Amino acid sequence: MSALLFAELLKLIKQPKTYWALGAIFLIELLILVTAYYQGSTILDILLDSLKQSFYFEGSLLNGNLILYIVLNGLWFNVPLIIMIVTSGILTDEYKDGTIQTSLLQAVKKQHFILAKYIVAVAFTLVVIAFMMLSTCVLAYTIFGKGDLVVYLNTLNFFKSADAFKRICWAFASGAVAMVFYSLVSITLAVWIKEAAKTWIAAALFLVITNLLLKLDLGTPMLNHFFFPKLMDTWQQFFYFEIDWFPIFLNNAILLFYGVVLTFIGTWTFHKQDIG
Amino acid sequence: MLAGTNLSKSYSSGKVLENVSIQIAPGQICGLLGRNGAGKSTLFKILCRLIKPDTGTVHVYTACPKPIGGIIEKPGLYPYLSAADNLKIFAGIQKIATDATSINQHLIKVGLPLDRKDPVRNFSMGMKQRLGIAIALLNNPEYLVLDEPFSGLDPIGVASLIQLILQLSAEENIGILLSSHLMAELSKCCHFLYVIDKGKIVNAGTTNQMIHAHIQRYSITAKNIAKAQIIRKYQPIMGINDVKITCPADEISAVLQTLFQEGFAVTACTPELTLEQLIENPVS
Repeated sequence: MSALLFAELLKLIKQPKTYWALGAIFLIELLILVTAYYQGSTILDILLDSLKQSFYFEGSLLNGNLILYIVLNGLWFNVPLIIMIVTSGILTDEYKDGTIQTSLLQAVKKQHFILAKYIVAVAFTLVVIAFMMLSTCVLAYTIFGKGDLVVYLNTLNFFKSADAFKRICWAFASGAVAMVFYSLVSITLAVWIKEAAKTWIAAALFLVITNLLLKLDLGTPMLNHFFFPKLMDTWQQFFYFEIDWFPIFLNNAILLFYGVVLTFIGTWTFHKQDIG
Repeated sequence: MLAGTNLSKSYSSGKVLENVSIQIAPGQICGLLGRNGAGKSTLFKILCRLIKPDTGTVHVYTACPKPIGGIIEKPGLYPYLSAADNLKIFAGIQKIATDATSINQHLIKVGLPLDRKDPVRNFSMGMKQRLGIAIALLNNPEYLVLDEPFSGLDPIGVASLIQLILQLSAEENIGILLSSHLMAELSKCCHFLYVIDKGKIVNAGTTNQMIHAHIQRYSITAKNIAKAQIIRKYQPIMGINDVKITCPADEISAVLQTLFQEGFAVTACTPELTLEQLIENPVS
């Protein structure tokens, strides 16, 4: 298994696609930074003009923490889409190039082969989120400095700079769980669909539907609690004034459980299906 | 012995294989001849356990961790990696040596240059086939399955690949099963031939047996061959440098001898056997 993991990592590192994905995420960050640099102050002034007459804000509200929060919002769509495209490619490229046959003609167990892909997809996702957080931290704090964070979630919530940073770190960690779930979904879709373009469409569709179903009320709190689209925005809960840790922990645990179930289904399906 | 017995496979589009039995002994080179879509690749995938047959069994009597190596349809390579890196990946996943010396030995064995460090997407089809064979040979399998290995190769590439196949069979006692829709290539290297059509084995026998039973046309090359008397008895069709005659296999030696006596120096005599003849006239 360790040999398969090493091989998967080597392939991922040597593939240009991996760097395209990291480049795409970095480009989005840069666009956010440039837009914020030139227009951010004007927009914030318009939004918070009345509040500034009643409250004192430490430092500029257009600061590194706000930029980090804006970048975090990429977890809704663009970041998972990039992750799903790259991670599904871990398997669909093998079908396209015929390397899946070559690999399975070696002394390798089918279950280990696919399991290694799931594990590497998770590792890649965590690296992407870490890269996204670190690169934004460096750029945003260097350019905009630190300051209090203002976030609108039902109401305006204000956080002191140090508190805001902690919440952002936790939000990235919780967001990483959601992104891991998406990457596991994309590998499972690749197991079923096999073809790259169709898998990308299915992944994008999954993402859109998940976002659409986020606000759907299933009637009973129990069902709502286990309905996976409602677990995808758990990272947002770190930006309510009071952090309720138990539901955050529970949501992420359920999401991880769903991820394990998906991995099991994908591995079982792959083991049963014909190759070629 | 690698043996597939009573193998059948159907897809929604219809039956692809019907009650096919095939066997290859160590060191033997078997050819599987059939038109495109006859079921050759499906049979190979079943033998390599990539797909499961609806009925029938595959037995490989060996203790090797990797009993069968192969290339099916095309050499499956990582296009963005070099030949050495491709070998490293496939060797690594089965925990066999990946040091530079071992990798170089695998490359030398199939006649690939050691100085090519560029991605294999730049390689010619012949080089890809050779690299595919090098990968198939990793971990010393006792059997090699090569699906259409000559497709996309120029005549020099074909000749060189045939040489490699003969060498692997003779020197390493590897049982090799190759498929093609071209009789000429298979007849040059196979000990035994199977003919498959519409998912069924319709003809089988040693290559000599098959040629002897079916050959009726020969292409003879010699200077001024058009002036030869003996060929007039055999419905000659004149080419620019050769003549094609219709002649039973029993008589070809006598024809060549007579040509020699008439003063013609024969430089080539090639039997012409078509797939259609083998499909339509099974060896009794």
